[in-house]
Amino acid sequence: MRMSTNRILTSHSGSLPRPDALIEANRAREVGETTEEQAFRAMLQKAVVDVVRHQREIGIDIPGDGEFGKSMGHRINYRAWWSYCFNRLNGLDLGGPGLYDAPPKRAREGEIVLTSPADRRDRAKFPEVYSDSEGGVYTGPRAAHWPICVGPISYKGHEAIQADIACFRTALKACGLEEGFMTSVAPGSAARLANFYYKTDEEFLFAHADALREEYKAIVDAGMILQLDDPAMADNWDMINPEPRVEDYKKFSMVRVEALNHALKGLPQDRIRFHLCWGSWHGPHVTDIPLRDIVDVMLAVNAQAYSFEAGNVRHEHEWTVWEDVTLPDGKFILPGVVSHATNVVEHPELVAQRILRFTDIVGRERVVASTDCGLGGRVHSMIAWAKLESLSQGAALASRKLWGK
Amino acid sequence: MKRSTDRILTTHAGSLPRPEDLMELYRDDAPDSKLLPRLQSAIADVVRRQADIGIAIVNDGEYGKAMRRAVDFGAWWSYVYDRLAGFEVRKETAEKGRAAWTFGSKERKEFAEFYAEDGGMGGARTGSSSSRMYGLTCTGPVKYVGQQAIRRDIDLLTSAIRSVRGEEGFITAVSPATLQILPNEHYKSQQDYTWALAEAIREEYNAIVDAGFILQIDDPALVDIWDWWFSIKSDIAGYRKWAEFQVEAVNHALQGIPEDRVRFHICWGSWHGPHSGDVPLKDVVDLLLKVNAQAYSVEMGNVRHEHEWKVWKEKRLPDGKLLIPGVVSHATNLIEHPDLVADRIIRLAKVVGREKVIAGTDCGLGGRIHPQIAWAKLTALSEGAKLASNELWH
Repeated sequence: MRMSTNRILTSHSGSLPRPDALIEANRAREVGETTEEQAFRAMLQKAVVDVVRHQREIGIDIPGDGEFGKSMGHRINYRAWWSYCFNRLNGLDLGGPGLYDAPPKRAREGEIVLTSPADRRDRAKFPEVYSDSEGGVYTGPRAAHWPICVGPISYKGHEAIQADIACFRTALKACGLEEGFMTSVAPGSAARLANFYYKTDEEFLFAHADALREEYKAIVDAGMILQLDDPAMADNWDMINPEPRVEDYKKFSMVRVEALNHALKGLPQDRIRFHLCWGSWHGPHVTDIPLRDIVDVMLAVNAQAYSFEAGNVRHEHEWTVWEDVTLPDGKFILPGVVSHATNVVEHPELVAQRILRFTDIVGRERVVASTDCGLGGRVHSMIAWAKLESLSQGAALASRKLWGK
Repeated sequence: MKRSTDRILTTHAGSLPRPEDLMELYRDDAPDSKLLPRLQSAIADVVRRQADIGIAIVNDGEYGKAMRRAVDFGAWWSYVYDRLAGFEVRKETAEKGRAAWTFGSKERKEFAEFYAEDGGMGGARTGSSSSRMYGLTCTGPVKYVGQQAIRRDIDLLTSAIRSVRGEEGFITAVSPATLQILPNEHYKSQQDYTWALAEAIREEYNAIVDAGFILQIDDPALVDIWDWWFSIKSDIAGYRKWAEFQVEAVNHALQGIPEDRVRFHICWGSWHGPHSGDVPLKDVVDLLLKVNAQAYSVEMGNVRHEHEWKVWKEKRLPDGKLLIPGVVSHATNLIEHPDLVADRIIRLAKVVGREKVIAGTDCGLGGRIHPQIAWAKLTALSEGAKLASNELWH
C-alpha cells in the first residue's frame, strides 16, 4: 500500500453520495419493481467512473468506488455498508423482524450479550432526542425486515463482487489510475443477526469468517486494496446493557478479531486496511468506548493500516492515545480529519492542524488523511464533496509544513 | 466582571431550550396574566439548572425573548420587534422574505441545492422567528419602547439568581449592526439610520447595566454580514469599511457604560450550513478589539473556526481584556468529550493566559439542537473546564 513518503496522502472511509438516479434505481430493484439488468449496469458503471474521476480531480490519492455497488435506496442511509452482504450469503432468511423490533437483552457480569439496536445505552440516555423527528438523528426509512440465520452460512456473492471489481477497474482505468480500495464487512459486524441455526455464537461468527473470506480474497486477488469495515468492534460496547467491564468486552472483541484474522489467513497484510468507527448516526454518542480501551484489540487485526474516527467532538481528543501506544513497524494510520458529524465544512487549516498532531507522534510517513466514516447517506452530497476538498487542501497544507515545500 | 482567577469560569452564549408550554404561550400570544407566572417559574428553573451544572455566569436562557417553536434560530433578534417604534411592515418587502436583507451570498450560490433542500438530510433542520421581521421597515424616527419588557426580564432574572445565591448574571441585547439590516425609508443615509438605532437600543443596554447585570451584545452581523452583503463580490475592503463603522456605532451606543460590564458576542450565524464562506477571524480581529467591551465571545468549537485559536498568537489580546471561546457547539449533535473541552481551553489559555479565558459556547444552544443535547453539552462544558482548571492550576 502507498504510504505518505513525500507528502501526506489522502483517502476516505468508503461510502460516497450516490446520484439520485442510482438511488431511485436501487430503490426500485430492492422492492422488486424491476429486474432489468443491462441499463442498470450501464448506469452504475457511468456513476462509478464519475465518482472516481471526481475523487481524482479534487486530489484524493487512494480512491474507492464510493460503495456504489452496495445498494442505497434512499438518500439518507446508514446501513448499506452491511446490508449489501445479505444477498451475498446463503443461510439467511431475509424476512425476519425489523432491526428495531428485536426485544432487548440484558448482559450479566462476565457474560456479554448484545442487546437490540433500539435498546442501545445512548438511546436510553437520550430517549427524547432519538424519538424526535426534528432531533436530527433520523437515519432514513427503516427496513421492515432484517435477516435471520436459518441454515449454514456460505458465500454466494461471487458474481456480485466480480461485477463490483470489474466496474471499479474500468473506472480506475478510465481515469488513468491504478490503485483503489474496496470495502467489505468484517465477520464481527456481519454476524450481528439472530441465529437459529448454529449452536453457538462463535460457530456463527466463524461461519461468517469462512464465507466472507471469499469476498476478501476476490478483492485482494484483483489487485485492489481491501478495507474491512468493522464498526462493531467499537459500537458493540453501546449495545451491551448494563455496561460491561472493559476486560470482559475486550475478551469478547478479541474473539471477533480471531475470526477476522482467520478469514484473512494467507492474504498479504500490506494489501489490507481496517476501518473502525463508533456508528455514524447523528446522536450524542456519550456511551462510546474510549479508543484507549480498545486500541490494542484493533492493532491485533492483521492489517497494515488502521482507519478510525478522530474528526468529531467525541473522539478528536484521542490523538494523544498514540503517545502511549506503539504503532508496529511498517504499519500506518488513517485518522478521520473530516467528519460526517456536522454540516459545517472543516477549515483546511483545522485539517492540517489535526494531521500534524498525528505526524508529530507517529511520523509523517505513517499518516494518510481520511474521513471519520462514510460520507454517503449521512450528509448532503454537496457537503460531502466540500469536505473531501477540504481534506485534500488540508493535507497539502500539512505536507508543506512537514516537507518544507 | 468575574474573571478566571483561580479556575476557568464557565458561561454560554445566551439562548437555552425553552419548555414546551412556555413556547405554547408565546405561540398563542397569551396575555401577561397567563404568560408572566410561567415565565417567572421557567426562568427560576433555568437559572437553577445552570447553577446545578456548574455554570458560573448565568442568564435567563433568553426566555423573555419569544421562541414559538422548538427549532428557532431567530429569537435573539426578533424579540426587538416589539421593543422599537418607527417600524412598519411593508407588504412588498415582506414578500421578498429574507432576500430583502441580502445582496446574495457566495456560499448560498455555491451550495444552492443544499440550501434549496433546507439541508436535505437529517440533522439540518432550520426554522426561525426571524420571519416575523420580514418586511419590517423603518418609516419614522426610531425609538426604544421596550422599557417594560426589559424591566420584566431584569426583575425575573434578579429574583431567580437571588434564590440560587448566584454571583453573576448576564442579559443579551441585539447590536446596532444587526438592526440596520432591516430596510430604512426614513433616514437620509444608512449611517444616520445606524446611529439612530444605536441611540435607541442604548436604553436597553443602560437598563441592563444599571440593574447590575453584565450586558452581552449579540453581534453576529459584524462577521456574517460578509456572507449576506459582501461575499458575492469578494469585497473585503468594502466589508471592512462597513464593519469599522459598525464598531463606531456600537461604541456610540455604549458611551458612558463601563467597559468591564460589557461582553461582546460575535458568531458567523448558527444555521447548520457548510459555512465555508465565513470571513476568517484574522481579517476582522483588529476591528473586534476596538469594541469597548471587556470580553469577546467568539466561536471556536466548530470545524470552521476551531483552528483560529492560533489567531491569538499573532494578535495580542490587550491587557485587561478577556476571551470567551466557544468550546462546545450547536454545530453537531455529538456531545463534546470533556477531554476535548479541556484541550481547547488549555490551548487558548497557553496563548493568552489562563485568567483571560472564560469557557463558553459557540452560539446559543436553544432552538438549534435538541434540548437534551443542549444540556448535555453544558454539562460537558462544565466538566471540561474543571479538567482544564486542574491542569492549569495544578
